[in-house]
Amino acid sequence: MPSSAVSLYLDPQIRDWVLFPITVVMILVGVLRHYVVLLLQSSPKKQMRAAIREQRALIRAQILRTTSARSPIPPTFYQSISQHLSQAFTNGTYLKDGPPKSDAPSVPPNPLTDPSQMDGMMAGMKTQMVMMVPQMIIMGWINFFFQGFVLIKLPFPLTLGFKSMLQRGIETPDMDVRWVSSLSWYFLNFFGLNGLYRLILGSDNSADSSRDMTTPFAAAAAAPQPPQAQDFNKLFKAERDNLEFAEGLYSWVGKDIETTILHKYGRLPPDTLR
Amino acid sequence: MDLTNSLQKLAGYRPKKTPKSKETYKKGLVLLRNGGFAKQGDEGWESLEKLTLAALDQGDIAVADECLQLIVNKFPSSPRVDVLQGIRMEATEPSEVSLKFYEELLEADPTNAAIWRRKAHVLRQMGKIDKSVQELSEMLDTFYTDVEGWLELADAYASCQQYTYALQSLSHALLLAPQNPFYFVQFAETAYLAGDIPLALKMFLVTVDMTDDEDGPVPPQDSIPTGLTLRAWYGVKLCTNKLITEPRSMSSSASNTLAPTTAALSSIDELSTERLRTAYLNMKGESPPKTDRELITILATIIQ
Repeated sequence: MPSSAVSLYLDPQIRDWVLFPITVVMILVGVLRHYVVLLLQSSPKKQMRAAIREQRALIRAQILRTTSARSPIPPTFYQSISQHLSQAFTNGTYLKDGPPKSDAPSVPPNPLTDPSQMDGMMAGMKTQMVMMVPQMIIMGWINFFFQGFVLIKLPFPLTLGFKSMLQRGIETPDMDVRWVSSLSWYFLNFFGLNGLYRLILGSDNSADSSRDMTTPFAAAAAAPQPPQAQDFNKLFKAERDNLEFAEGLYSWVGKDIETTILHKYGRLPPDTLR
Repeated sequence: MDLTNSLQKLAGYRPKKTPKSKETYKKGLVLLRNGGFAKQGDEGWESLEKLTLAALDQGDIAVADECLQLIVNKFPSSPRVDVLQGIRMEATEPSEVSLKFYEELLEADPTNAAIWRRKAHVLRQMGKIDKSVQELSEMLDTFYTDVEGWLELADAYASCQQYTYALQSLSHALLLAPQNPFYFVQFAETAYLAGDIPLALKMFLVTVDMTDDEDGPVPPQDSIPTGLTLRAWYGVKLCTNKLITEPRSMSSSASNTLAPTTAALSSIDELSTERLRTAYLNMKGESPPKTDRELITILATIIQ
C-alpha cells in the first residue's frame, strides 16, 4: 500500500528525542535495578549452631537407615549407633532448646512473630518495590510527554490483530498496523530487553522486570525461604520408629562374605550357592 | 569446586612437602610474576589459593604472604580466606597464637566447621590430643556428614592406641561413604590392631569383594591382584595365618564377630596364599618363597 507509506512522514527528531531516549532510559533503569537489588539482598542469616545440630540430627538417622539392608558396618557397631540415636531422640538431646517439658503444650511458633522469618518476607517485598516503582514512573513519563506519538514503522507487514498490541494509545482505526506507538514501544522494550540484560549483566541478573511481572510473587517465592517451623520433637519420634524398622532389615555386608569370595574364586562347588 | 568442599579441603590441610606442591609452586610463581592469575578471572583466585598452600608447603613464606595479601584484598571477610590465614599463621607463629586466632573466629561464628577442625588440628600439634579429640567429636556431633573429620578423629584415637574408639569413628565414615574401599581397608587394619581378628578378616574380604575386577576380561581367579586388592589379600593372609596358628584369637572378638568355620578358613587361607603368590610372581618375575612366613615378610616390604 504505497499510499499509506507516503501519507505519513516521521520527523527524524522523534527518533532522536523520543525513540532513543525511551530505549536508553529503560536499559539504564534495568541495569540500575540490578545493582539496587544486589545492594538490598541481605546475606542469608547465619543459623545458630544448636539449630543446625537439630536439623542435621535427622540426617544421621537417615544415613544409618539408607544402607541398613546391606550395611557396611558390623552388627555391634550398627546397634550401638542405632540405639544411641533412638535414645537421643526419645530424650530430646538434639532439640535446640533442650529436652522438652513433659506437660508443656507443643505449639508450632507463629512465623510472623519470629524476627528471622520476617526478614525473609521483607526482602521479598523490597525487591518487589524496586521492580514496580521505576516501571510505573517510566510509564507515567511516557504517557505524560509522548502520548499518541508514533515512533517507528516496522519493516514488515502485519495483520490487523496486532493493532491493539502495536498502537496502544492511538485510536485510529485506519492506520497501518506497521506503525508503532510510544506506549507500545515501551511494552515491547519491557518484555524484550531481557536478552540484552543477559549480555550486559550475565545470566542471573535481576534487571528483567517482565519475568517478575508474569508471576507477581515469584521474587518472594524464589528468595531463600527459611525452613518451615517444624516440630522437631515429633519428627524425632517418628524417626525412632523408622530406626526400629531399619534395624529389623539390617544385615551386614560381611556376613557371609567368605562364602561369596570362595564362590567367586571357584573354590566352592556351585551347588552350594544359596 | 563448591564452597563446602573447598572448606573441607582446607580444613584437612597439613604440610607434606610433596613433589606435587613443588611443581604447583614453581609453575604458580611464574604466573604470579607475570600477572597470569588476574587474567584467569574467578579461577585465578582458586589457583592463587593453591599457590599459597604450595608456597607454605615449600616453606617460602614471602610468596605465600604475597598471595595471601592479594586474596585478602579481594575477599576481605570470607570464611575460606580466614582458614587460609590461619594456615599461614600456623606455619610461622607459635601454636598458641594460631589457636587464639581460631578461637576468636569461632566465637564470632560458631558454625564454621572448617575453622573448628583447624583448631582441633592445632591442638593435636600441640600435643593436647585429649582436647583435640573433644573438639573434633563436638564438631562432628553438629556436622555429622564431615567424612574427613571422622577419619581425623579415628587417626587421633589410633595414635593413642584407642582402637575401639577409632573403629567407632571409622564406622561413621563407612556409613557416610559406603562406596569407598579405602575406608574398609582402614577399618580392617584398625580392627587387626585392636586384636579383633575375625572382624578384620571379614572387612578385608569385603574390600576384596569390592575392589577385584569382576567385569574384566579374565575371571577373578585368573586375575592378578594389584594395589588395594593386593593390600586386602595381604590382610586376609595375615588374619587367616593368625587365626590358624593361634586358635584362641578365633573367639576373642570384641565385636562378637563369628570366625569362619575351620574348613572355610583353610580354603580362604589357601586362596589368599595363591593370590599373593600370583602377585609376587607378577611383580618380581621369580617363583615366590615356599613358606608362608617368608612370603608375608617379603610382601610386607613390597606393599609398603
